[in-house]
Amino acid sequence: MPKPGRILKWLGLVAFFLWTVTPIVFMISASFKGTGDIFKLPPTGDWPGILKLLFWFDASLVQFKSIFEEGTFFSHLLTSILATGLSVIISVPVGLAAAYALSRANIPGKKHLYFWVITTRMAPPIAVMIPLYVLWRGIGALHTLPGLVLAYITFNLPFAIWLLRGFMDSIPRELEEAAYVDGKGRLGAFLEIIFPLIRPGVGATVILCSMFAWNDYLFALILGGRGAKTLPVGIGELASATQIHWGQIMAGGLVMIVPMVVLGLAIRKSLVTGLTMGAMRG
Amino acid sequence: MAEVLLKNVVKKYGKVEAVKGLNLCCNDKEFLVLLGPSGCGKSSTLRMIAGLESITDGEIFISGKKVNQIHPSKRDIAMVFETYALYPHKTVFENMAYPLRVRKMPKSDIKTRVERAANILEIGSMLERYPRQLSGGQKQRVAIGRAIVRDPKVFLMDEPISHLDAKLKGYMRGELKHLHKELNQTFVYVSHDQTEAMSMADRIAVMNLGELQQLDTPENIFNKPASQFVAGFVGDPPMNFLPCTLVTGAGQWLIEFKQFAIEVPDRVRALVLEKRLQGSGRHEVTLGIRPDNIILKTEQTKSGDLPGEIYITEPLGSYMIVDVKIAGERVKVRSDISFPGRSKDAIFLELDGDHMHLFDAGTSYSLIHSNNGRHSTLSD
Repeated sequence: MPKPGRILKWLGLVAFFLWTVTPIVFMISASFKGTGDIFKLPPTGDWPGILKLLFWFDASLVQFKSIFEEGTFFSHLLTSILATGLSVIISVPVGLAAAYALSRANIPGKKHLYFWVITTRMAPPIAVMIPLYVLWRGIGALHTLPGLVLAYITFNLPFAIWLLRGFMDSIPRELEEAAYVDGKGRLGAFLEIIFPLIRPGVGATVILCSMFAWNDYLFALILGGRGAKTLPVGIGELASATQIHWGQIMAGGLVMIVPMVVLGLAIRKSLVTGLTMGAMRG
Repeated sequence: MAEVLLKNVVKKYGKVEAVKGLNLCCNDKEFLVLLGPSGCGKSSTLRMIAGLESITDGEIFISGKKVNQIHPSKRDIAMVFETYALYPHKTVFENMAYPLRVRKMPKSDIKTRVERAANILEIGSMLERYPRQLSGGQKQRVAIGRAIVRDPKVFLMDEPISHLDAKLKGYMRGELKHLHKELNQTFVYVSHDQTEAMSMADRIAVMNLGELQQLDTPENIFNKPASQFVAGFVGDPPMNFLPCTLVTGAGQWLIEFKQFAIEVPDRVRALVLEKRLQGSGRHEVTLGIRPDNIILKTEQTKSGDLPGEIYITEPLGSYMIVDVKIAGERVKVRSDISFPGRSKDAIFLELDGDHMHLFDAGTSYSLIHSNNGRHSTLSD
């Protein structure tokens, strides 16, 4: 007879699983249905009927056709890809260089500098939105793609520095020093010895920075505006004062989560290794 | 010629002076050990020779060339680190081949050199393994192998066997000494273990608090220590020290210890007169005598025999250490394992005058042996 604690643990896990997964399952299911079929319910008491409605139905691509052909969904998708990609391409290498310096160099006031970097992530985005809006307007970056990329860098770069510095600190300095003695300069030692060892950590940083930028709504809404409208903002507009296009919202949502899921699955091993790297001493 | 010369080298970490005006020379093909306790500056010195630490002041020369501003990769040195510093993502072969690949050596030459070094170190069967699959002793040999494949001018070793168990340490001491003879190159070796230093070194540089205490052969370091620190650091069990007063004058010199008086042997008197003290008077000194140079007696046979009481005996297999209390001081004596004494037994100690050491109580330098070795030059 299993112990009560174990039963409770499993019940909790199942409940958490259902709570997490059910909305996504509903979204996937709804995105392959016609608008009229999305909110169909089975007769009262017919619980198996719910499963049938979720998983056993005539699939249709009408919602996907609608968002890609009739609206500006494709341009929003492209803006999201560009804004996310460019912010990550800039934030991660620059963050890596900064993390290396903070980990290895003898910089006066290094601790205070590092703390300042971390504090930029402590404030909630809404708290800095008005000053950022004024600043972006002043430099002509408002409602532009470059402006949105810059906005994403403001939160991705400190995060990358913070995360990557931890990975750098976990690599013993003697490894670099051995590379110097073996004949490599600083850059060569970093590329051939240090980087391969922190690659999982860099992978984890790329994933997380991509997720933060891809899923952002507030910065894109206020700073991106019409000139750089991303997927989250575009999908949000499908719910207007007069009508809510549930089918298109569900299809758009599915399109939005697929890249992050694929990316996460592709490097999930690195993600786990990277996130637990700092905890182990080699 | 691959000598290493340090001239007035200073290293500061902020306000802390880790190395203070060090003058030191490791001759060509010599096995020099930098010996001292933690924090004495020996690793900082080695790292400055390697170029891994900047030099605050002074000059370092390798083979006659000043290397202060030269990157470690260009100094033609090889280093074995305390933690081995093997590249975890490379196999043993790749670790050993790495310095040769950096120098763009042909693959066939790399293979030959790596296999030759691996055979010398008896790690030929492990070339495809990764560091995580090796024991501590195997990792250490791979680290040494990575150093010897390059055939550098100078080998630098930073406590390479400190993390091994006692048995393996003993084995590796012999192997390293043999390696030095076989390679016939210059070795600069850092250790806090006086056994390692005594057994392997051609010369030992004893350091303390950033200063060189004595630079000499192991025999002289042991038998002619230039300071109380050197005398106490080298030797196991360590030398006994007793606070005394040296009474000099025209007649018999005496060493007064509490209510006891010991006649100063003529040999010691001559050395003290030659090196240090002149005239008559009373001088505060520290008497040093090794546990091996004290004879235990059950009764007093000479006027200079010191009466004491056995505190404890420590049998150690082939010999015994007898801890004796004399007038509030504790003295360790090395005796035969068959010594019958027990705790609280009365005992008498005869100090061997031929192996007595006297140190100035104020400066702690020897009154008998010179510390000229601190300022050794190339011709020393």
